[in-house]
Parts: sequence; structure tokens; C-alpha cells
Amino acid sequence: MKGRTGAIYLVMCTLAITAAVVCADLKKGYYTPARLGSLQQAATGDFSPDSIYQVSAYPVPALDLAVGDGRQDVQIYCNTCHSLRYITMQPPLPAATWESEVNKMNKTYGANVPEDTTRKITAYLQAHYTPETRKE
Amino acid sequence: MTATERILSRRSLLKFLGAATSGMAVRPCLWPDAATAQDPPRANALEPFTGPGPNSHWNSVSPYSTEPQKAPLLLLTDRPVQLETPRHYFRTVFTPNEAFYVRWHLEGIPNAVDLKEWKLRVEGNVNKPLALNLPDLIHKFKPVSIAAVNQCSGNSRSRLQPRVPGGQWGNGAMGNAMWTGIRLRELLDMAALKTGSLFVQFQGLDTGQGPEGFGSHLFLKSLDLTNPVLDECIVAYLMNGEPLPMLNGFPVRLVVPGYFATYWTKCLSWIRVLNTPDENFWTKTAYRVPDTPRGNTTPEDAKAGIKTVPIERLPVRSFLISPDGSSKIPAGMSVTLRGIAFSGFGRVIRVEVSDDGGKNWTAATLGADHGTYSFRTWEMPWTPKSPGRYSLSVRATDEKNNTQPDEPVWNPGGYLWNRIERQEIVVGNAD
Repeated sequence: MKGRTGAIYLVMCTLAITAAVVCADLKKGYYTPARLGSLQQAATGDFSPDSIYQVSAYPVPALDLAVGDGRQDVQIYCNTCHSLRYITMQPPLPAATWESEVNKMNKTYGANVPEDTTRKITAYLQAHYTPETRKE
Repeated sequence: MTATERILSRRSLLKFLGAATSGMAVRPCLWPDAATAQDPPRANALEPFTGPGPNSHWNSVSPYSTEPQKAPLLLLTDRPVQLETPRHYFRTVFTPNEAFYVRWHLEGIPNAVDLKEWKLRVEGNVNKPLALNLPDLIHKFKPVSIAAVNQCSGNSRSRLQPRVPGGQWGNGAMGNAMWTGIRLRELLDMAALKTGSLFVQFQGLDTGQGPEGFGSHLFLKSLDLTNPVLDECIVAYLMNGEPLPMLNGFPVRLVVPGYFATYWTKCLSWIRVLNTPDENFWTKTAYRVPDTPRGNTTPEDAKAGIKTVPIERLPVRSFLISPDGSSKIPAGMSVTLRGIAFSGFGRVIRVEVSDDGGKNWTAATLGADHGTYSFRTWEMPWTPKSPGRYSLSVRATDEKNNTQPDEPVWNPGGYLWNRIERQEIVVGNAD
């Protein structure tokens, strides 16, 4: 059994050397799995020659927001004025920066989120989107 | 190790045996061991976010998205829409409309405009209020054209250290177009400003969900009526000779040559003359920079409180567009370095390139002059003689003698970045 394995090994070596000599410096046909994602062609409208100039709806691709307490509050309140991609687009921000961002939404932009919900939203962002906590 | 040994490393052999014994097709070539040679680069996507360090990529790391009337662009945010232009679109002096970056502040972006109803109004502190439709603008005024760079105040924000919140743009929140329209001054003259007029305020069709009186409800910008830039402003109905894409402000947008894009109101529909200072958020509070050289400060000073002024003109910048570092260059081969430069303070008169990290600089050849506020293309032949890692730097100088510095800039808004750009190029052995 041992001798037979050795023989196969030798044959393979010979084959391999031959192949290697033929194309040691070539490399082709190397593929890697990938996800196609959801990049679609933009639809064009069904136009008529009237005075209305329209474009199709602006796409809002699905977004994976970190799972955890407060996520639903974020989805309800933050999403009113802007999509949640505003959160995931940011670099990891310090906890204090997230707090001032949430306060800015209330004070500067008049978001008027209830106080306890504001605290929950801030805690959620700090739990998932700081340099220490951000994973995805 | 000899070359053959490298190729015939144990791991490759096992791979080979594994493939052979499992009955899979055997490739004629063996993979060299990963530790001793390079695997082909993987086609994986970039990391989903950058930070807390600076974004090291030319563009942001955003995914692509295809929006109406647009080529696939880099999606920073989807509601409201913010799209970044990929680097390769800057190979031409004019940025194609379908690739031109997009930045809105409020989610209520028009999906449709009825030109039978739409009017551009000039109102407020005027003797003769105007309401003009698109044919009026096209036929009753003398059309003028100007090439001008539109750059977001926060372009390159992802370079700042420490990082600041906001749109995490790479370098692609800019574009150059030939804008055609009518002079703002003609409209103001026709409306006959009353005495005591101080500011002119601009409003587009976009609205937000926020309560009235807040910046989340309306996006309003004003310019001081004594500002000479008003003489250069146009209300543009053509962008590169075509109607504006909706996302770039159809049917007309304000063009403020040399100024940051925050003033270039999209879907411009109200021009309002004010006899009081503009107290609204976007003019009074937002888009301000420290009143320091380059608008530079520190987080500590910003927290303590510093004097700020409205952001205005584009500081001088230049970019290497190709080669972009995505492939190696064989030593001894001549390539052409190409890029763009611009300044909001005056025409670009010099672009220089360094291939030794900024010690020695060589002047590049400038392309055609399309006007003071346009991109200026540049190119320079480059023949790296020996293999290695080269750091190519590019810097521009404008006619007011402003030159790009090599120091970073920091301010809380993430504005005014114009540090010398660098691109690493790997030159390989050619024999």
C-alpha cells in the first residue's frame, strides 16, 4: 500500500513538473466566488409627449442594520427623514459623537423624538457603531 | 528555493493530487505556494466601511447603485440620494451628465416636474415680481455658457483625522460641466430690486419631513447682494448641452462659478430678495468653516468655540486619474500620467508631479483652457526605470499663486480638504 502511494506520488510529480515547465510563469482561469448583488439597470419611464417630465422612483436597496435593542426605534424614528444608510455610511464614531448626532436631530432638525426613545436610539448606535463595537 | 521547487511546493502538490483524485478537471498549471508567490488578486468587494483611520481609497467604499438617468454610481445614501462619481469618469475635462455626482439634503426630491405649471419666480423685495416658464428663460434672454466645477463642500471628507460625521465622500463629489442658461443679474435687474435689499435667497423644489422653520423642512441658501460672484452666476437649463438630469436639478439650477456646490440650488424655483439677513439654518448655521487659514482647526478649539465664516470658494486641487494603481507597470515602459486640476480662486497655471514622495517636482503639460472655473486637464509622460513602489504626488498652483499644501486640514464639518494627493504605483521587473 505504502509503495503504491509512493508510485502515484512519483507519477504525479513527473506530471506536475512537466506542466510546471510548460507554463511556470502563466496563470489563467482563476475564478473566485462572488455575489452578484442587486445592481439593476435603471428603468426608464413610460413617457408621453406632454409637459410632465418624470423619472422612475429612486431605489432604496435593502440594508442590514445590526441586530439589538433599540433597532426598531431607529427604524421608526430615524427613517422618517432619511434612510438608515446614513448610519451605516458613517465610519465608526465615538460614543460621544453618536450622542451629539442624535441630539442634533432633535434640537437642530426638530425631530422631536421622545426622551426615553432618544436614549434608546443613542444606546443602540453606541452599542453597534463605535470603533470598539462596530462589526459590519 | 529554485523556481521549480517553489512551484512544486507541497501545498501545490496536494492541491494537484486532491483535484486529480476527486476526478475534477486538472488544470495544466500549478499554483505556486501563497507564501512564496502571489495569488491572482481576488475580485472581492472593498470593505463595507472605513475608519476610524482615514479612507485610503480614491473614492468612497460605497456600493454601486443605478438611479434614474444615471450610470451606476457609488451610493452613499439612498434617501435622500447621494451618489459619488467613480474616478475613471474624470479622464475627460467635462464630466458626463449620467456620471455627475449627486447630493441632496432633503428626502422630498421631485420625481416629476410639470413644465406647464412650473415657474421660476423672482419675488420679495422687488418692484416687479417675475414668474417665468422654461420657454421664457430659453427665448426671452440671451443664453450664456460657462464651464464650471461643481464640488461638494464635503468632498474627500473621509480623509479627515479624526473622522467627522457626514457624507463619507472619497474624491468623487465633484464634476465639471458646460452650463448654459441666463445671467442671474438680468433676472434681478428685470425684477427691479427695491432699496434696502440685502440678500438674495434661493429655493428649489425639494422638501423634507421636518417641521416648518427647521433645516429639515426646506433647503435655503442666500448670497449677499454686494457679492461680486452674483455677476458671474447663471440660471442653467443645459448641462453639457443637454437638459439637466432630475437628480442634478431639472429644469434649472443655479450656477455659482468658483463657489462650493451648496450654493448651486437644484430645481431652482424661487429667487427671493430679502431686506433682512437670512436667518435660516442652511445659510446662518450650516456650511460654515473656521475663520483660519485653510479653515483649519482642532477638535479641542472647535469645542471651545471659534469664529466661523460661510464656506465660499474652492481651494486649489489636483488629481491623478490614471494610472490609478489598479495594476502594475513594467519597469522601463513609458506611461502617460493624466489628471485634472481646478481652483475657485483663479485659473490653474501650473501642475507638478513628483515620483519621489515630494522631493523633486516636474511640471506637467496643461490641456486646453476652458475658462477660469473649469477643470484643467494635465498630462506627463513617465518612465519608471527600476522596479519598486513609487509614490506619485500631484500639486497645482492657480494664478493667485495658491499652491496645494501637503498638510491635512480638519474642521468639524469636514470641509475644504485640498491636501496634495498621493498614489502608490508598483513598478515590476520587466525581465
